[in-house]
Amino acid sequence: MDASEVEFLAEKEMVTVIPNFSLDKVYLIGGDLGPFNPGLPVQVPLWMAINLKQRQKCRIVPPEWMDVEKLEQIRDTERREETFTPMPNPHYMELTKLLLNHASDNIPKADEIRTLVKDTWDTRIAKLRLSADSFVREQEAHAKLDNLTLMEINTISTFFTESLNHMYKLRTSLQTPEDGQTQEY
Amino acid sequence: MEDDLALSDEASDAGSEEVLTPAELINKLEEAWLNEKFAPELLESKSEIVECVMEQLNHMEQNLQRARQGDLKISFHHMEIERIRFMLSSYLRSRLHKIEKFFPHVLEKEKARGEGEPPHLSPEEFAFAKEYMANTEALLKNVGLRHMPPNLQTLDLIKCVPKPNLDSFVFLRVKEEQQSILVEPETDAQSEYAIDMEVGSQHLIRYRTIAPLVASGAVKLI
Amino acid sequence: MWESYCAVEAGLGREENFLSLDDVLMSQEKLPCRLESGLARLGFLDKGGETEHIPQGSKMELPLWLVKGLYDNKRRIISVELPKIYRQGWRTVFSADANVVDLHKMGPHYYSFGSQLLNFDSPENTEIAQTLLQTFIGRFRRIMDSSQNAYNEDTSALVARLDELERVLFKAGQSGLNDFQNWERGQAAQITASSLVQSYKKRKFHETDT
Repeated sequence: MDASEVEFLAEKEMVTVIPNFSLDKVYLIGGDLGPFNPGLPVQVPLWMAINLKQRQKCRIVPPEWMDVEKLEQIRDTERREETFTPMPNPHYMELTKLLLNHASDNIPKADEIRTLVKDTWDTRIAKLRLSADSFVREQEAHAKLDNLTLMEINTISTFFTESLNHMYKLRTSLQTPEDGQTQEY
Repeated sequence: MEDDLALSDEASDAGSEEVLTPAELINKLEEAWLNEKFAPELLESKSEIVECVMEQLNHMEQNLQRARQGDLKISFHHMEIERIRFMLSSYLRSRLHKIEKFFPHVLEKEKARGEGEPPHLSPEEFAFAKEYMANTEALLKNVGLRHMPPNLQTLDLIKCVPKPNLDSFVFLRVKEEQQSILVEPETDAQSEYAIDMEVGSQHLIRYRTIAPLVASGAVKLI
Repeated sequence: MWESYCAVEAGLGREENFLSLDDVLMSQEKLPCRLESGLARLGFLDKGGETEHIPQGSKMELPLWLVKGLYDNKRRIISVELPKIYRQGWRTVFSADANVVDLHKMGPHYYSFGSQLLNFDSPENTEIAQTLLQTFIGRFRRIMDSSQNAYNEDTSALVARLDELERVLFKAGQSGLNDFQNWERGQAAQITASSLVQSYKKRKFHETDT
């Protein structure tokens, strides 16, 4: 899967915007949105929030976790714990990138937030590699991966699953091939 | 635009008991799309979902043609339609990709299907697979095989084209709680053990172990 | 990413994938053999020899695909010797530290070719299979780390010592990383020319330079 496809999935997340226009309820296939009234907060999917922001039709309210103090705490816990700690949002990385790129004027201390999220990400990816290596070395058959996000899994999944497939084949090559599988050319 | 979007008619036409709201339908499409993307083999065809989604899209587009252009509301609808269309095409494309990769096995499986079992391929996909097979055979014959000695002119594509590797590892998230899933050991030093899967938990495991759970919708691949 | 051409991967194991180019190249590798019975009128196979027949007991190096065709446990036409890298001495080196070995120089199809050797019923089969697996496990971490840290760097030094199978993995790791980094810098949204068109342009520039 491409990172941009993971981003596509993240764009479904709901965020709060404060519109500067009025519009009746909109009946989309995926559900109803609105009504929109100037100055009144309303929940919309991220894809729509960004589009409205680009047309200067709204202000985006940053999610409650997108805050320097909270993120510092998250980063410190992540560094302290050996396991993966729960993230404030399953798409924290995508949300941070999209909101900071498109609405940084609505987010206080945008630069600090970017660094904090990136630090947390780096810590988690380092843990992910560590656990991938031990999974391979111990030749495990199953792992529980709670709290890992889709984007994190996605950065390593092709490489990792291909390696596991190779190992499986190397391990089973001693057994005689299944009947009827022998190939004569 | 404010029409009732309940899908009961379409769903029952397609022979299903389920009544889905349009939002649920789109979620089903998303799940089918991701499962298909990550599963090593070609999954059962979800023609019903595809047809319902197409119907929704066409319906919406017809409505939009009647509406005033340049309206903010209209642009929301257009964007949503584009997003759904993207998922739908990507879903169909990943199926075609697998058909091209595993065509002899896909056709074999379809041939071996018992009466009453649901087809693995939509009629269009079946036609595509057959044509792909015929074209590949013709190509190999024309470029190479016909120049070979007579006893070497046949090639069994079932043996030549690698099978889907059902033993490959996949990532999944649990939707319905599962108990005592047996995990086969990887080495002789290990022994078989059972795991429970709680709702919302995520796992890395061999596809073969949980393939029935993907088919039933109890877990989804990620 | 959707590739218009999707290569058939190497079989890796006792079976080759018939349509895999990697496996075709691999099965071209030579294997030292001893003839257990003479081969009449096949003298041309032995480039050094000038006789019409190849006598029993001759030692020669034959490509794997030919050995597979001639090898038959019952008729004993030919017996296979293990190439050095799969023998006891090298197996000890691998178990000490698999990372120090230049598998490209020694291979370059170390794993695939090694798995193919299991077809010849050597008494050392179990040890060979074990070593192949343990070597892969031992080198995994380094391949993962280098493929995940090598963005925008010259990777030729890293890749030089990898076996063909490991190179494919390395590329998979890199493209995962590159895809993520491009996304992070907002370049995923830009439409770029295909690599084919780009290299065509480079050639054009090069021509005008000279």
